[in-house]
Amino acid sequence: MAENKKVLVIGGGFSGLTAAVETAEAGAEVVIVERKPFLGGRVTQLNKYFPKLCPPNCGLEINFKRIKNNGDISFHTLAEVDKVSGQEGNYDVTIKLKPRFVNDKCVGCNACAEACPVEMPNEFNFGLNNTKAAYITHNQAFPFLYAIDEKHCKGASCGKCAEACKYNAIDLSMKAETLTLNVSSIILATGWDSYDVSKLDILGGGRIKNVITNMQMERLASPNGPTAGKILRPSDGKEVKSIAFVQCAGSRDENHLPYCSYICCMASLKQVTYLRDIYPDSKATVFYIDIRTPGTRYEQFYTKIKEDPNVTLTKGKVAKITEDSATGDVIVVAEDIFAGKKVEAKFDMVVLAAGMVPSTKGLPVPADISYTADGFVIPSKLKKGIYAVGTAKSPVDVSRSVQDATGVAIKSIQSARRVK
Amino acid sequence: MAEQVIKPDLNFINDVIASGGESLKKCFQCATCSVVCNVTPEDKPFPRKEMLQAQWGLKDKLLANPDIWLCHQCSDCTAYCPRGAKPGEVLGAIRKMSLQEFSVPGFMVKMVNQPKFLLVLLAVPALLYILIIASQGFFGDVSIPTEDGKIVYGKFLFSLYYVDTVFTAIALFAAFSLLLGITKYWRAMSAAAPNAKGSFGKALSDTILEILGHNRFRKCEVTKGRATAHMLVFYSFIGLFITTILAFAKVIPEYFEHFGTHLGIDQSLLDGLTVIYKILGNISAAALVLGILLVISNRFKNQEKAGLGGYYDWLFILLVAGVGVSGLLAQFLRMANTVVAYPTYVVHLCLVFFLFAYAPFSKMAHMAYRATAMIFAKQAGRG
Repeated sequence: MAENKKVLVIGGGFSGLTAAVETAEAGAEVVIVERKPFLGGRVTQLNKYFPKLCPPNCGLEINFKRIKNNGDISFHTLAEVDKVSGQEGNYDVTIKLKPRFVNDKCVGCNACAEACPVEMPNEFNFGLNNTKAAYITHNQAFPFLYAIDEKHCKGASCGKCAEACKYNAIDLSMKAETLTLNVSSIILATGWDSYDVSKLDILGGGRIKNVITNMQMERLASPNGPTAGKILRPSDGKEVKSIAFVQCAGSRDENHLPYCSYICCMASLKQVTYLRDIYPDSKATVFYIDIRTPGTRYEQFYTKIKEDPNVTLTKGKVAKITEDSATGDVIVVAEDIFAGKKVEAKFDMVVLAAGMVPSTKGLPVPADISYTADGFVIPSKLKKGIYAVGTAKSPVDVSRSVQDATGVAIKSIQSARRVK
Repeated sequence: MAEQVIKPDLNFINDVIASGGESLKKCFQCATCSVVCNVTPEDKPFPRKEMLQAQWGLKDKLLANPDIWLCHQCSDCTAYCPRGAKPGEVLGAIRKMSLQEFSVPGFMVKMVNQPKFLLVLLAVPALLYILIIASQGFFGDVSIPTEDGKIVYGKFLFSLYYVDTVFTAIALFAAFSLLLGITKYWRAMSAAAPNAKGSFGKALSDTILEILGHNRFRKCEVTKGRATAHMLVFYSFIGLFITTILAFAKVIPEYFEHFGTHLGIDQSLLDGLTVIYKILGNISAAALVLGILLVISNRFKNQEKAGLGGYYDWLFILLVAGVGVSGLLAQFLRMANTVVAYPTYVVHLCLVFFLFAYAPFSKMAHMAYRATAMIFAKQAGRG
């Protein structure tokens, strides 16, 4: 076997973690670099996920455990790839490590956050609430170390967090570092972002308080979210008893995202159950162009949702959303295609089924990689020894990402062995 | 359940596509268009259903319906369409097809809307005036008579014979043809919706008020400026119509004089009438040119969201512009007393001839068909 058998995984979400543990467990050394301070990616932000509708931890915990128990996997958080050169078997990668300002001595006691005077929008909750500049995203974050946000922190001149920390875990003088790695192959697991709904002017995205995105809905429903899972609407904290889901908010629209984002139909149907499970008297309406339920199990799920008398599925894309300024209710207009008339209805809250944008759209990997106009990696144009998984290539759900990542593990090991 | 037989007309689909509706098949029936449209009724809104009917070639359903003309092509639908199916332009193409269906004689629509016939159509008035001028001997030795050395068009082409008679004949032809066309359209709509029976008088007066105020047109969002530009052109046409009537009234005594009858009307009254119609005519002509320039500038401004339009649209726009510009020019050149005034005047007459003689077959016909559709829709309770 070649001497250099290291594999670099860019992205520590579900795809990246899967690719890393599968590759390492087959006998290669793996390095994960993750841009955020924590691993787990988008799945950590979900309330429940398909196919089993279990909370994120049910899949993530086992992967974190596999990482911890495997000496061949190392990971770097707050790490971004700066430069890639070389070829299969011999890629030189420069990685920029941003300071966390918190070291391994952290026990997660929250004293720093209590002492921190700076509030910032909680990115993990998609801005639904604020957090301190010294923070941890949630109680099962991995690594379980607080982080201090470089952009918002006032620095050593404030230093209240360092004073409050009894464990010498805070070092505000930490500087960015550069790491160079030589690897035989690279796995791109760069993941996705939600489409910026403020671009959907007629849907009131980012403008009307009680119009939220599907990912914000996940946070509202999540026990570790801003409302502790109660689904209260943003404007006044009222319990949401009537809700509309607006499908294809950005997707299948050549003015926005010309492709189907694959996950949104199932996500909305799933989110219908979030509300229906908490509030038995609640009503949900899903406005759609087509309900897309790929595969066999998803179709069954759809059939089950349709049986609920409190759930209405209306064929017709919503193209007008306004706010009742007195009550904060949201007024939705669509054409009910089967009835052949325009319908206008009022809801407590509206969820825009925002589409999936590859992270590489806004932040391409600084390497010789070809992307589609929409920012997805084009697999057939990748150099030898570079592989893409999951949503880096096209919109997919978690289970397909996992299958994909498992398959790519063998490819990356082949790359390591091919070069003698 | 009653059996419904759907008879798709494949030629109709191809015709719509060929007439500027090439994006028709991109539609995937999401209904964004019907929602963003501010001018559609709430019940059975357009243009989604029209897109489906056109895709299926359901010609009769489409054409025997007021909705295609209730559409003002605001292009809000086109701007927000997620597929680039351009419902606004497709409905424009369908309206063209409906002219072909109802106008009498129908073949004229094909001629007016195909560039290859442009010269033929232009040749009709051009030859007519060349013949008239030749018959006066102005191409030979005869010099054009003037009034104390000043150009007077009435001495060049005696207006009773060569202007008023010609254009009255044209106007009668156009009006008769349009009347036949909209009667056929009305009958088709009545047959398709026999139960639509409200008060005709109320529908008519409401329609007139709506047109005068451009109330429906003003609801357009993406192409906001269009209503104002259209209103300028619309009112300048009314102004020019009144000008024509007054100018005709003024020359009636002269015509009687021509045949040896003296009406004995006070000259100061006629002079006063002349001042009024000259002022009105000039204001209207200026408004017409300004309005049509705004129409053109709006077209270019909205090109990306609403499309530039095709030959059918531009022939009409440029014709109106040409009538306005050549009319003003003919007046100024006459005042400047330059010989170029004569050909300019002839060009102006030819363009006016073109605009009115072919009105039932060009985009000009929209005024009759849209008004008819609006009256029918109001009578049927469709706003």
